[in-house]
Amino acid sequence: MDYSPEVLQRFASPERVGGFMEGLDGLVMGEAEDRSLNVWVQFQVQWIDNRLERVRFQVYGCPHTVAAASWLAQCLEGKAVDALLRLDMQEVARALDVPLEKMGKLLRIEDALHACWRAGSDREKT
Amino acid sequence: MSRREVYLDNAATTAVDPAVAEAMAASLGSAGAHANPSSAHGAGRRALTLIEVARGQVAARVGAQAAEIVFTSGATESNNLALHGVLTARRAQAAHLITTRIEHPSVLDTARALAESGIEVTYLDCDSRGLIEPDAVRGAFRPNTALVSVMHINNEIGTLQPIAEIGALCRARGVPLHVDAAQSAGKVNLDLETLSVDLCSLSAHKLHGPKGVGALYVRSGTALLPLLHGGGQEGGLRPGTLPTHQILGMGLAYELADPAVHGPRLARLRAALLDGLARLDGVLLNGSPERCAPHILNLTFAGVEGESLLLALSDLAISQGSACASDVAEPSQVLSSLGLSDAAAQSSLRFSVGRFTSDSDIAYALERVAAELARLRQWAPSAPIWCRSSRF
Repeated sequence: MDYSPEVLQRFASPERVGGFMEGLDGLVMGEAEDRSLNVWVQFQVQWIDNRLERVRFQVYGCPHTVAAASWLAQCLEGKAVDALLRLDMQEVARALDVPLEKMGKLLRIEDALHACWRAGSDREKT
Repeated sequence: MSRREVYLDNAATTAVDPAVAEAMAASLGSAGAHANPSSAHGAGRRALTLIEVARGQVAARVGAQAAEIVFTSGATESNNLALHGVLTARRAQAAHLITTRIEHPSVLDTARALAESGIEVTYLDCDSRGLIEPDAVRGAFRPNTALVSVMHINNEIGTLQPIAEIGALCRARGVPLHVDAAQSAGKVNLDLETLSVDLCSLSAHKLHGPKGVGALYVRSGTALLPLLHGGGQEGGLRPGTLPTHQILGMGLAYELADPAVHGPRLARLRAALLDGLARLDGVLLNGSPERCAPHILNLTFAGVEGESLLLALSDLAISQGSACASDVAEPSQVLSSLGLSDAAAQSSLRFSVGRFTSDSDIAYALERVAAELARLRQWAPSAPIWCRSSRF
């Protein structure tokens, strides 16, 4: 399997991997998995005043999945929370040169971020 | 620790021994043995002499007579020739083949092709250590069983099959036994007469010989038809001009690969690797702890995704236990046969030592695996149990 320089760099040193301390103000979590694809992703976002102040992720997956989760975590930080619903996974795939057969794994990342949005929206309503 | 490349994929292929390379190179020029070994002139006879020396060297290593060695392009061709050749020779009768689910693809795919042409095939299951019980072979015999094919050492997990027991059963039934010994020749003592083996596939490049050459041992009196036609070489079983340099390289490699000399050292290196890695959390051996090859070690690393672990350890030349280049990761059939989940199979790696592996290579590998396991596991401390369990 060939990997783009961007994937190799992010795999060697993934930005924003990890999690926040429990009880952090505005903490929202969302996760997704697909056992048949061997992938599990969890995002933690600090959702304050409808902004994504900080974003972290945990991942069990292939190098493309790791790099894509890192890329998105970095991109989303500081954005309005609606950005969680306006993800363009094709753009991610292009930026990282992810092969077509890995798109299923990237869509689980999208699912995890959508789960974050649902959790955050539900919390805002209460 | 400074990074360097360490080769631990000797079950895939090995570096050619310098003495073998030198002998091969010397034979290629006009002063060497370039002539066609089938030619009657002096140069041809000199080439033929080298081939017959090599035939003797290979035969001596596996307890055979020189006349029972047929040179081929490698073990894959030998497996094809054995299965097709025996079963085609029995075409007049509805023939039955017994093999196992954990054979090399060159046996499994050949069996599948034969099944499509009407051959009945029984696939035996292994136990959780990868062993084929001789009783399973006994229970699978039918009146029309024409061939049993069981590999000696499994190429993925290194399990050493009870060939002597299976051979005795086959001999008592009058059914020929074919053994794929690509991984065992030169690694463990191989006496085909004692093991009651009738056909045996051999490779050169697995024991520091050249790629592109192998052999099939055909016990005298075994009915076999060729795959190819168009020449009388190798008793008509494998026509085509003999590649003298390849064959003499194989012969010398077999002479040098004395398991009594190299086997204990390979086993010691493997044991050091296993001992060091088994101390790490969530690392589990695949295969039999007792009946194992001296050079192959297959381990499951729980809590890390296999493709990521392989990339993280790209300074180590090792193999994944499963193919994972695609979106839908295909688990290794061998590891699945042991009862591993798809995730566990995908998180398994094969390490295989060779004659040129050093103690410092093992120490380096241990350090690197421990470091990368810790790094990758930090990325998913909250992962669900299916990511973190080595068996379920």
